Amino acid sequence: MQRTVVKISGENGMGLSSVGEIIQKSLQKLGFYIHSEREFPSTIKGGKACNNINISDEPIYGLSETIDICIGLDREGVKDGLNTLKQGGILIHGFERWNKIIKDLPTIVAEKELKVFLIPARDIALENGGSLIMVNTVLVGFLWKVLNLDLGVLKDKITQQFRKKPTLIDVNIACLEAGYRYTTPEYNETFQPINLQPKPNQENTLLIDGNTALALGALQGGMRNYVAYPMSPSTSILVYLAETSHKTGISIKQAEDEITAVQIALGAMHAGSRALVSTSGGGYDLMTETVSLAAMIETPLVVVNVQRPGPATGLPTWTAQGDVNLAIHSSHGEFARVVISCSDPRDAYTNIQHAFNIADVYQVPVIFLTEATIGMSQTTVPIFEQNTIPIERGLVSESELVDLKSEYRYEITDTGISRRWLPTTSPATYFANGDEHWTSGELTEDADKSHTMLAKRLRKMETILAELPDPEIFGVKSGADISFVGFGSSKNAIEDIIHLYKKQGISVNYLHYTYLWPLKTSRFIEFCANNAFVFGVEGNATGQFITMLEEKSGVKCKAKLLKWDGRPFYIEDMEGLIQLNLKK
Amino acid sequence: MPDFTQTNELIAKANEFAAFETKQKHTWCNGCGDYGILSGLTRALVLEEITPDKVMLCYDVGCNGNASDKIGGYTIHGLHGRVTALAAGIKLGNPKLEVIASAGDGATFSEGINHLIHAVRCDYPITFIVHNNNNYGLTIGQASSTTKQHYAMNGSPDGPIGDTLNTLQLVLSLNPSFVARSFSGDVEHITKMIRAGINHPGFSYIEIMQACPTFNKNTPQEWYWDKIRYIENIPEYDPTDIWKVRKYVDNLDTELVIGVLYQNIKPHFVERLENRKEIKTSPSEEVFHHDISELMQDFM
Repeated sequence: MQRTVVKISGENGMGLSSVGEIIQKSLQKLGFYIHSEREFPSTIKGGKACNNINISDEPIYGLSETIDICIGLDREGVKDGLNTLKQGGILIHGFERWNKIIKDLPTIVAEKELKVFLIPARDIALENGGSLIMVNTVLVGFLWKVLNLDLGVLKDKITQQFRKKPTLIDVNIACLEAGYRYTTPEYNETFQPINLQPKPNQENTLLIDGNTALALGALQGGMRNYVAYPMSPSTSILVYLAETSHKTGISIKQAEDEITAVQIALGAMHAGSRALVSTSGGGYDLMTETVSLAAMIETPLVVVNVQRPGPATGLPTWTAQGDVNLAIHSSHGEFARVVISCSDPRDAYTNIQHAFNIADVYQVPVIFLTEATIGMSQTTVPIFEQNTIPIERGLVSESELVDLKSEYRYEITDTGISRRWLPTTSPATYFANGDEHWTSGELTEDADKSHTMLAKRLRKMETILAELPDPEIFGVKSGADISFVGFGSSKNAIEDIIHLYKKQGISVNYLHYTYLWPLKTSRFIEFCANNAFVFGVEGNATGQFITMLEEKSGVKCKAKLLKWDGRPFYIEDMEGLIQLNLKK
Repeated sequence: MPDFTQTNELIAKANEFAAFETKQKHTWCNGCGDYGILSGLTRALVLEEITPDKVMLCYDVGCNGNASDKIGGYTIHGLHGRVTALAAGIKLGNPKLEVIASAGDGATFSEGINHLIHAVRCDYPITFIVHNNNNYGLTIGQASSTTKQHYAMNGSPDGPIGDTLNTLQLVLSLNPSFVARSFSGDVEHITKMIRAGINHPGFSYIEIMQACPTFNKNTPQEWYWDKIRYIENIPEYDPTDIWKVRKYVDNLDTELVIGVLYQNIKPHFVERLENRKEIKTSPSEEVFHHDISELMQDFM
């Protein structure tokens, strides 16, 4: 596996994301596999931002922070490149006064043996009729030469990108070509361009982020009402579903707050639609009372929490796995719920469909945990399959509707699941009562009935637990040199690591949890028995999930690898832990 | 001469009326205005030929919410303050449902006042009945934002400190499409107001002033009767002139006009959804696999 990491770095608002998109789409067209991450501050203009593009000839899911090439768009970007480029890395920039401004410049360049290409990008842009922002395009042109790639694809993408502003197409292409043609004394016969080897005709892949994939999964699975209040990093779900709403015909509402959003979602679910509501941790906090109501009236509900670091507003545009305890323990009272997670666009797409089925069949709230790094990172994934996950509504059949009795709705059953039908579809009406109630939903404060009804609802936990799939093992089943257990995006770096180490004759495996609650422990116990060095890995400070897993199973991990700086796990994080432990 | 048209119609529909009866015991105080409102709502449904299995009745928390199993029908008894949001969700999930929501003054003007504002400006096509008894009855008589000042209440011995909220001024300031006011002592009038609300295409705001004989002894039935004035008896009353209407509702101590106070029909929320204008089905009827092939093209 070949991995080349290109980083575009500069100030937020420098047109960085559109440059990144053009590069990525062109690379995808050429047949590369990509996993890229955007880092940006919670500002509109200003602050350090970058786009870290991992490029490979094989599928990759994790991020490396070993940067091969950096395009520094401005002073901040150049500084970032100097700091983060690997030994012998390449810096491409147009910051002419750089040697006057950056201290210790020659020392850094010499020590790291960096190849630096200073392109007079501003002059080139202006000479070709461009503006200052087109410095970016000039630098990308030069990058393409360094990567030794076909410029035609890049031109096509630029044409596509600016199709709504046709006047910008020619000038951007002129800047691009000028950048490509430009040569510097450093670009001579001693310089070897990076020779990327694409695999052409990757027609059946998508380059997509997890938030969009989740939205597509929901659409495929029959979601017809979407409601949200904007909150990073979940907002792109709202934007995508709104932008495509004329094609999809779904009913969309941007609500006045998160409480309203989840109430509308619950109402729409009660009426028989499939409604999606998405937010991040703080917004989810506001929704928790409604989660409790959904459990009480046994109306399905699916809430997506795209996690970011807290407490409070925390790090709004960065990533975390810190809301595990929140998802499992939120809301007053005792009731059955399911917490489901995802790791990348592939399972964001499938798991949201499972989430709707579970909510419908078991009549419980489902909390869907995803993460900023999943939601915002772009990954090359196989095209999504359709019609493979059946839609399960858990409703009585049409023929049964006539003979229903009101008291069937909350009938006491062994599984905890009672028959459900939609309002107005049967002569048998029922009360969906947030107060404790008896079988047709009529209010009760009777001790026996209260005891029995709560126990009925709670019995769903056992029913669900028995029917949920086990966690999945990646890599060898047993006898691994190093093992990991975790959930969510942690899988992405580990998946790459497993392949990487396999080539070196070192076996790494990983037990991946998708369903965090109710918690299945037997596979974990088995995994720990069959593998000597099992490390818990989790993107929070207290190891919320692993601690719970240890407590419930009675088995301890060797240690926990925890990270809570807003960054995802990089493959270097895993490598560090592996190297340290192999030496022992 | 009282108008018995509705009553005569009801006599012929005794069975339909009985269909709304439930076996649940009423838990309201003697003389509570909720009886009158429940009766008026049931009558309105019967007269509009809506059967219990064809209506979604949504209740907030409070004394009014305890009606949720005292009336036949598909009911939902949700969280405090949130009923307009919940009812809007039900309507958006299936716009073909007849959706009627009820809440008290505590829910409407304190806990969930934000939802009221947005429900009015969005003009959700639902009927909303506010039971305004000027206090929190179910928690035994605390002041609400509509309690008169200087009246001692449970938890505010010197009376509420904040100014009394003029609810209709608030609602009328939001450019509503339908505003009616009635009184719990006049079931005939309540019935008419709810029927008008059901027939109004957009968000029907119906406020029912309600006596609370147990906790709000300061404003008994007679207090209301002294001040009530039917708009039918005001020849120059114009329910289309919002500024004149606002003058009529300005004084809460001398005169309380009741009737359909203001109406301005405009496209409601569901009709405003540009992307669904050609779609005849409800979202609840569209839950099946939707082809995303075209959408995936953007990522290839």
